Amino acid sequence: MEAPYDDRLLHQRVVGGDEAALGEVYDRLSSLIFGLSLRVTRDRVIAEDITQEVFLVFWERPLTYDPDRGTLRAWLATIAHRRAVDHVRAEERRRVTSLGPRLFEPSPPRLEDTVLAADEARRVKQAVTALPDALREAIELAYYGGRTYRQVGEELGVPEGTVKSRIRLALRRLADALAEEEV
Amino acid sequence: MEPVERLYLDALMEDPAVPGHSLRPQLLAGARARRRPAAPTAPWAEPFAGRVAAMDALLASAVDDDWSRVIVEGWTLQELVAHLAAKDGLLAASVGAPVLGPPLGATSAVGRTSDVQAYERARSPEQTRRDWRAQADALCRHLAGLSPDTPATLDGMSAAVRDHVLARCLETWVHTDDAARTARVRLPHPVPEHIHPTADLCARLLPWTMLLSGLDGSGRTVLLTLTGDGGGEWHVPLGGEGSGVLELDAWREGDGWRRADARITADVVSFCFLLGGRGDPSSFAADLSGDLSLARDVLSSAPALSGP
Repeated sequence: MEAPYDDRLLHQRVVGGDEAALGEVYDRLSSLIFGLSLRVTRDRVIAEDITQEVFLVFWERPLTYDPDRGTLRAWLATIAHRRAVDHVRAEERRRVTSLGPRLFEPSPPRLEDTVLAADEARRVKQAVTALPDALREAIELAYYGGRTYRQVGEELGVPEGTVKSRIRLALRRLADALAEEEV
Repeated sequence: MEPVERLYLDALMEDPAVPGHSLRPQLLAGARARRRPAAPTAPWAEPFAGRVAAMDALLASAVDDDWSRVIVEGWTLQELVAHLAAKDGLLAASVGAPVLGPPLGATSAVGRTSDVQAYERARSPEQTRRDWRAQADALCRHLAGLSPDTPATLDGMSAAVRDHVLARCLETWVHTDDAARTARVRLPHPVPEHIHPTADLCARLLPWTMLLSGLDGSGRTVLLTLTGDGGGEWHVPLGGEGSGVLELDAWREGDGWRRADARITADVVSFCFLLGGRGDPSSFAADLSGDLSLARDVLSSAPALSGP
C-alpha cells in the first residue's frame, strides 16, 4: 500500500528540515501512537516516552521512511510497537531475573520489518475467526482482500458508513480479545 | 507490510489517547537538538536551505565505509561534501558572508575545491560534515538581509545572488541524489515550491547553454512545458541572455505567447537534472514538436553549464 499525497508532502518537508511539518505530523498522529503505546505497555509515562521518541526518529532519520512502501501512520506505528514490546520484554526479564536464576534466554532481536512473530500472527488470525460473521466479512475483505470501504459495501450490500462502523467495532473487539489473552 | 500486521497495528490504534500534558513543545525542542532544521533565510533562498537540510539528513546516517566510497568525479563522499563547502564559500565571499575553512586563496571553483579538500582530508568525515553545514548555514543567515537582486560573482560568472543561490540549490540537490543512489537510499523530491524556482532558473539558462555549445538560436523561440509538481510553462527566446524568458501563466493565456518554433514537454525534475549534468540528452524522455532539430539542439546543449 502506497502512502497518500499528504504523507509524501509531509515527508518531503521533514527531509527539507521544516520543523512545522513535524508539528503537523505530531498533531495528526500522536493520539494514535500514544494510544497504541499505552495499550501495549499499560504505563502512561513509558507510553509518553515512546511517543516522543517515535516522532523524534522520524525527524532525525527521515530517509528511513519510504512512502512507496506504506503510510506514515503504519511506519510510525511499527516503530512504536517495536519499542513498546521491547519495553514489556525488558520488564519481564527484569522480574524473572530478580526472582532467581534465568528461566529462559531473551528472545532474539526481531527483523526490522516484522511486527508479529509467527505465533502472534496466528493469534490475530484466530481472533478474526472468532468475530461475528458481519464483522469478520468486513475485516477479511478490507484487509486480506485489499478492498476499499466503498467496495466492501458494494460486495456486502450495505452503505459505506456501515462498513466503516463495522470495521471500527471489529478492530476494537480484536484489540480487546488480544489483550485478554495476554493476561 | 503483511495484511495481518496492518490489521494488528490498526486494532492497537483503535483506542486513541491523549497524554496528560502536551508533548509538542518538548518534542520540537528535542527535535532541534537532534537534527538542525533548515537555516532561517530569505524566502528566495529557502530552496537552498532545504536541500542543505536534506543532504545533512543523508549524511547523518553515513557510516565509515560510506564516507570513503567514491560518489562522482573520482571524489569520495567526504571530498564531495568539501567541494560543496568550497563553492558555498566562494558565493559567501562574493556577497560578504563569512568564509569558513582554510583562508581564501584560489577563487576559481576548481582551485577553491582543491584547497578545501586538502584541508578537510586532515579532518574526520564528521568534522567535514559540520564544516560544510556551518558554511552553508552562515551563507543562508547572511542572505536573509540581502536583496535577491544583489550582484554576485562565482567562478567568473556574474548574476543576481538569487540565481547563484538557486544554482547552489540545484548542485546540492544533484549531489545529494548522487550520494543517495550510492547508499541505496530513496531521496524524496524537494517540495513543489522549491522545485519551481529551480526549474525557472533552468529555463532561463537555456539561451546560455545554447551559446556555450556554439549554437546560434537568435530569433528562435521554444515553448517549454515542465510537468509534475513544481512545473510550469516557459516561453524561451533562445537568442538573448535569458532576460527574455517568461513563465506563462493564466494572464498570458491566448496572447500569442504559445507560438514558438519548437515545443518541448518533459518531467520537471528530470529536466532540472539534465541541466545539472545528470542523464543523457540523446535518450532524454521528452515530447518534441515543431522544429525537431532545434528542440534536439536545446536538449543536447542543456548540460553545458554543469561542472563538477
